[in-house]
Amino acid sequence: MRKVIIKTNKLSKSFSSGGVQQHVLKNLDMEIGAGDFTIIMGSSGAGKSTLLYALSGMDKPTLGSIAFFEQEISKLSNDKLAVFRRLNCGFVFQQMFLLDNMSILDNILAAGLLISKDRKAITARAKELLTQVGLTEEIWSKFPTQLSGGEAQRAAIVRALINQPKVVFADEPTGALNSAAGKAVLDVLTELNNKGQSIVMVTHDLKSARRGNRILYMRDGVIHGVCELGPYVSGDRERHGKLQAFLMEMGW
Amino acid sequence: MRKLTMLSFANIRKSKGHTVSLFLMFLIAALLLNAGSLVFANFGGFFDKITRELQTSDAYYIIPNRMYSEEIDSYLKTNPNVQNVQKAEALWANGSMPYHEEKREARFLLYDADSPREHSKWKWIGEQLPPDSMSIYLPYVMNVDGGYKLNDPFELTIKDTRFTFTIKGFTEDAFFSSLDTGNLGAYLPHETYESLKKQLGASYGATVLFVNLAKSDNDVEAGIRELLPKDDSAASSQRDGTGTLFSMELKLVQLSRTLMSSMVSVMMMAFAAIIALVCLIVVRFRIGNSIEEDMTKIGSLKAVGYTSRQIMGSIVMQYSLIALVGSVVGISISYAATPMISNVFAHQSGLVWVQGFDSGVSSIVLCGLLMVVMLVSFLTSRQLRRLSPIVALRGGIVTHSFKRNHMPLHRTRGRLPFVLGLKSMLQNSKQSLMIGVIVAAVSFASTFGLVMFYNTTVDTKAFAETPGIEISNAVAVLKPDGDHSSFVESVRSMSEVRKAQFIDQTTIKIEDTDVATFVMDDYSAKETNTVYKGRYPLHGNEVVLAGVLAEKLDKTIGDRVMIRMGDKQGEYRVTGLSQGSNMGGMNASLRTDGLLPLHADYKQQSLQIYLKPGSPADQFVSKLEHEYGSSLVQAVDMDKSMEQGMGMYVSIVSKVGTAMLVITIVVVMLVLYFVIHSSIIRKKRELGIQKAIGFTTLQLMNQLSLGFLPPILIGVLVGSAIGITQTNAVMSVAQRAMGIMKANYVILPSWVALFGAALILLSYFTSMLITYRIRKISAYALVSE
Repeated sequence: MRKVIIKTNKLSKSFSSGGVQQHVLKNLDMEIGAGDFTIIMGSSGAGKSTLLYALSGMDKPTLGSIAFFEQEISKLSNDKLAVFRRLNCGFVFQQMFLLDNMSILDNILAAGLLISKDRKAITARAKELLTQVGLTEEIWSKFPTQLSGGEAQRAAIVRALINQPKVVFADEPTGALNSAAGKAVLDVLTELNNKGQSIVMVTHDLKSARRGNRILYMRDGVIHGVCELGPYVSGDRERHGKLQAFLMEMGW
Repeated sequence: MRKLTMLSFANIRKSKGHTVSLFLMFLIAALLLNAGSLVFANFGGFFDKITRELQTSDAYYIIPNRMYSEEIDSYLKTNPNVQNVQKAEALWANGSMPYHEEKREARFLLYDADSPREHSKWKWIGEQLPPDSMSIYLPYVMNVDGGYKLNDPFELTIKDTRFTFTIKGFTEDAFFSSLDTGNLGAYLPHETYESLKKQLGASYGATVLFVNLAKSDNDVEAGIRELLPKDDSAASSQRDGTGTLFSMELKLVQLSRTLMSSMVSVMMMAFAAIIALVCLIVVRFRIGNSIEEDMTKIGSLKAVGYTSRQIMGSIVMQYSLIALVGSVVGISISYAATPMISNVFAHQSGLVWVQGFDSGVSSIVLCGLLMVVMLVSFLTSRQLRRLSPIVALRGGIVTHSFKRNHMPLHRTRGRLPFVLGLKSMLQNSKQSLMIGVIVAAVSFASTFGLVMFYNTTVDTKAFAETPGIEISNAVAVLKPDGDHSSFVESVRSMSEVRKAQFIDQTTIKIEDTDVATFVMDDYSAKETNTVYKGRYPLHGNEVVLAGVLAEKLDKTIGDRVMIRMGDKQGEYRVTGLSQGSNMGGMNASLRTDGLLPLHADYKQQSLQIYLKPGSPADQFVSKLEHEYGSSLVQAVDMDKSMEQGMGMYVSIVSKVGTAMLVITIVVVMLVLYFVIHSSIIRKKRELGIQKAIGFTTLQLMNQLSLGFLPPILIGVLVGSAIGITQTNAVMSVAQRAMGIMKANYVILPSWVALFGAALILLSYFTSMLITYRIRKISAYALVSE
């Protein structure tokens, strides 16, 4: 039986827009397992990103609770959530959100040095991770605007990993990339997952979704269906067919 | 035009906080600039207006009646230099009065109020009440500075006799309205005057001659002096002053009345110029920032057909509108503040300066400020001309061109927020430079203000030395007759006395100019050194000239000057230049053996007495009067005289200094608000990312605040250093008209350092307060935008 690392209980999130309350998440109960590559899919406005950011402590739910490794995080203050994020979560965003005024290496160290006081050790780890994702030394001192989208996203993945997070949260990480760059990024994430890294990823993209072993499909703020796929194997037609059938069933 | 206005107002609405802070800065700049300009342009003219209105004569001479003769009348009538003479009768006496709950000595000229004058008239200030048996009309300074009110009793003590009057009105005239130009004029109803005249006796009667002169460099005074009984000529150096001829020229009175206003106006305008410069730098910075922030909006406007000129026009209009409104309000407030400024000056001058609206001055201030703002706005927004709509719509890549990764984190030691703050500072070098320049400018101004404050409230010695006279604790004025050597020895042996030496003052002519001259045996014993170039005279044929006098005579060290006293004259070599406002800078220093060839009967009379620390001068003076009264004309408590004499100057300068300190702090806070607020808006994305990856609000607040600290630190250091090294130079320029060629104010680096440290701490805490708004920036808002 797999270990549950994140569990929600009647999770709700509402936004007020022009005096009208919009309920994005509605009494949502769900679990994320250790070592899972969880994919959250759904139509636009289904609440995928809202769920991702609630689970990662980036945003607070309106009602309900979130247990992250048995720690209740929904009632934490903003600053405690910041500390929680730096210790437990890594983030990969669609727009990368690297700091434009810093070199790639500094972008990663800015996150790493938040936790580690050992400058040498954290620098060595950053360089090792950068090499692992295929970013060579000449790129390390460049600024984000001097990199291609794929390179920047891989750098963002390294930043997400620098503090050895318990979970990596990725919000459409290939959304702004061409297919080759997107594939390279997905390969990195898959390899990480294969090494035991828990990942939660929001995507619209079928190719990206295939990388997950557990697909959650959302509609109108609730989990509408779950598809268990097992580990990703490139070219596994049966696995891909199962996913496609699930998505068709969900009305995707 | 409507489109431009629409765009401008939209920008103003969008950045209310910045608009308000800029508005406040322009308000302060315009207020100071207009107030300073009004004082500078009008206060001197106002004195001229008063003299015209009251038909004040060019000079006046007071002669005790016992010395006055018909010959003097004839001499004046026949002197080609004399245009007309107004003769007035008065009672002339040294007296004491309660003043600010203390006894204050002054030389009074008491006139018959019912005896009209054709020249040198006086007028009422405010209401006057019907007189009773012992009424008096006092100069307005007694009301504004002394605190006396109508119907208050006024006690005047002359030679141990106390006269109690009731104040029935306040007066203004050009010559006698202040406590610091020789004689204080008071007016008595005819009956009171006659009664007082009878009680005081004939010895207090004096004739006052108001004289209009054809040319100012004249020998009228010398001519009158020649006609005085010779027996009394030695009394000219008496400190009592009522024993012989006293003369005063209007130009010297004008200098005395307006010197403080001219000094204050220069300080105000210099400070206003600094504030205006800060405003312009901030405007430039703000425009650059708003272009960066609104890049996409500018792209959209260009895309839908707005021309660069229209967008630039909207920016110029936006800042010109803020400057216009701020300046108009500031100028209006400055008019509301002029009665306060007038009141401050009235404490010294005793004159009521009423400043109406001066369209000329205010138009120049307003137009000057507006034109500079328009020019700066135009020049700064010119970069928009080169910006294509596509580049702007993409966020304007031209604004991001990081060339160097300053302080790489893998090599830089230190706490992360501090290192990131420094990185940011280096990357925003223009902004850091701007903050540095602004802080340096205001630090200089505040150091200046601090020095003024310190020298007028804590250590007033340098300020007290401004007149250039020797500062002792007491002066014993000896009777002109008899041998006082045993008295002098007795004084020197008194337990309280540290030192006693003669320093007298007499009037001579140098190159036909009347000059007040200090006379001393040995200048090496002098404790107040006023020679700023060269040296004091070591020999009898040497003289030191005041810098102002030397400039007037076109003489310098090594030159020879002709000195005349009565019918004797001699040539003297100039050995040094001194400073001091005594006689409006028309003063000199001679040795006693240098004066004797001109005045063989000269006798030393003013014994300067220096007391040991802890010996009160008032008690010593009482003791002196009690034990040696028979040898003395009078004994003067110089500590008290100095305190009273400097009081009004101290009050004005300390107020100006304090105002400069307060304005400095306000401006620093406004600038910080402006810059940091702009930074937060500009760095919203960066801060959001940092929050997302786990930075707390406090870390980010520290990061931003620490990033501003180095330029603030450098600015404070540079500004304070300039303040420490240049304040005396600035004051020398500002006080040149007073005869101060080389100001020597005490500048305590420890005080400046303390204030600088306080300014830095205040800046840091202000930054932390302003950056507290970072808590509102959520990481989620960033990613969901």
